[in-house]
Amino acid sequence: MAANGHQSNSPYVTLVSSDGLEFVVLREATSVSPTIRGMLRGQMIEARTGRCEFPEISGVILEKVVEYFHYWYKNQDKKDVPDMDIPVELCLQILDAADYLGLDSKPPLRQLKEGS
Amino acid sequence: MADEPTLPRLTRPRARQPAVPAFFATAEGRKRARSPDGHHPPSGSTTSSDPAVFSSDDDPALDNYHVHGRRKKRYVGTWFDQHPASSDSADSAMGDDMRPSQPLPKPQKRQFRRQLDSGVWMGLDGGSVTDTDDGIEMAPPPAPRISLPAAPHPLFSVEEEMARGIVLECLDNGYEVIDLSQKGLCSLSNAILEPLSGLTPIPMVNKDVAFEQRPPSLRLYLSRNSLVQFPAAIANLENLTVLSLRGNKLRELPPSIAALKNLRDLNVAQNRLRYLPGQLLELMAKGSALGELRLHPNPFFQPKKRSYCRWGAPEYDQHMSDPEADVEKSWSGVTTIIRSRTPVQFSDSARNILSEFQIPVSDTPLSSSPQELEQEDFWQLAVPKAVLAGQSQSEPQPQPQPQQEESEGTTRRRSPRGVPSLFEIALRAAVRAPQAEQLSSMLDGDDIASHLAGVVDRAVHLHQMGGLRCSVCGRQTLNPVTEWLEFREVQRTVVKVIARDAMRTEVEKSTKTASNSNESWVPFMRWGCSWNCLPHKAVEPAGLEDRARLLLMP
Repeated sequence: MAANGHQSNSPYVTLVSSDGLEFVVLREATSVSPTIRGMLRGQMIEARTGRCEFPEISGVILEKVVEYFHYWYKNQDKKDVPDMDIPVELCLQILDAADYLGLDSKPPLRQLKEGS
Repeated sequence: MADEPTLPRLTRPRARQPAVPAFFATAEGRKRARSPDGHHPPSGSTTSSDPAVFSSDDDPALDNYHVHGRRKKRYVGTWFDQHPASSDSADSAMGDDMRPSQPLPKPQKRQFRRQLDSGVWMGLDGGSVTDTDDGIEMAPPPAPRISLPAAPHPLFSVEEEMARGIVLECLDNGYEVIDLSQKGLCSLSNAILEPLSGLTPIPMVNKDVAFEQRPPSLRLYLSRNSLVQFPAAIANLENLTVLSLRGNKLRELPPSIAALKNLRDLNVAQNRLRYLPGQLLELMAKGSALGELRLHPNPFFQPKKRSYCRWGAPEYDQHMSDPEADVEKSWSGVTTIIRSRTPVQFSDSARNILSEFQIPVSDTPLSSSPQELEQEDFWQLAVPKAVLAGQSQSEPQPQPQPQQEESEGTTRRRSPRGVPSLFEIALRAAVRAPQAEQLSSMLDGDDIASHLAGVVDRAVHLHQMGGLRCSVCGRQTLNPVTEWLEFREVQRTVVKVIARDAMRTEVEKSTKTASNSNESWVPFMRWGCSWNCLPHKAVEPAGLEDRARLLLMP
């Protein structure tokens, strides 16, 4: 569905928060989020530049999200992984961001439809 | 010491230090004036015949009242000629001798730090300290310390107070039977039941038998009250052997009830239960303690048809229920056998149900007739049909593709791989918040995130009820996204083990417990933490005629 040329541009993508903080993350680590995966595919500007802006997510929250990306990337095949620490005062905003980025417990529909 | 007249530079900054409280500075000055080595106990004048020394800690609240440099007052001698030896230093005898002759340095700035101490310090701001002043100080600080007899738990209702009295009485006397039946309880706070886990029974003392502390076997009767929610603290009473909740208004039992491993007798009849938690099956395995289980009457969900498929059931059971313990000796108790299961209800994280099949919400008012649920064969793969059919409700796919089927089988169950979702992690952080119950109302005001309020609410509820484990992978979850019901037949099983030499034979006999057909199948709820946590799929039988043969009507 997408031209693969730009996807091999760089192994990193840049995530930008509402207050302008930029996080450079491994592309593979962000692939846990179907939302970001969708942004980086196809003919979107994000896909061409490798730069995703999130005007809804503040820097503090995005930092935690990025931390989760790495946590997921590092531990995805391990057993009995300890929980990532989340400060209580941020939990609602992170919940909201996780909902937005599709970081919840269901696999994306596409995956279900295609079979495996 | 030499510093008094000649070294004003040392003393002045000390007196002027702004951070030091005023009375600290003056106390220090006074100490120096009176005795150069204030911290040492008096050496020469104190003999063994000196009168006793008492400290002034008559108010327990003063114990943690630490201010720099302040000492407890000390009283020497008998009460009638009592006067403080020294209010801030340890040299009692010396202070007594020297105080009249040597006037103390005048305290310049006094700050009243605390109401209780006002009696102590009030006389000092004038100037010289006399013995009469100190005599006045002696009077015990009066009024403000009358502590109100604190009503310990003002939130308890009258009925709960009564229940609390009974519980405390049982605790005091070591009674193991806690009878709270017919007390009109609408709710039961955890604080009332919690102490019961520390109950120690009075041991039996017999002649020629060693004195032995035995674990208590608690029996808790809560029958015929109006409880709407299962008191979560019950799940912590490890030594509970008999639990009766008959005749209440319970809508569900929490999954944490599985922690009551010593439960022998459970009675949940005459409630408003629509299903039982699947975790209860852990108490109904072979070899478990549970011997008596009374479930009916309750408005349980009923299956649409009572035909069941014998084929695939043992395989399913093997994967979905806990592995049965080997029975060492003869045993009798309650077991279940799987009969059928419903399709799976799929939802997303925000609790929107995405599948065609929906389990009716248990909050809906009870209709007189039990609701009937459709069923799915064991060889059918659980898929969210409406979603797969492209959101159209038209035709559920007859042959859904096999999904990522992990072949690890049973090893997959007990060791969850990978990490929980960020959503789940954030929920876990949320329920640990001290004000967790208000969180959802904070979300409600937010127009973007208000759809998450329900999720948070449910997570908090689950957390209070002792948490939930995924029925498939065993991972803790606060937001199960797949749910389905298993219809199981409850039976009484007797296992007789006949050991003869090296031969060991097990004779197993099961009898139905249900008296009428409506009560024979009981629904057990199963939860999955992700869309990959689904009921086990049996291998499809070969041909149509096979299927026909395998369908049995009871």
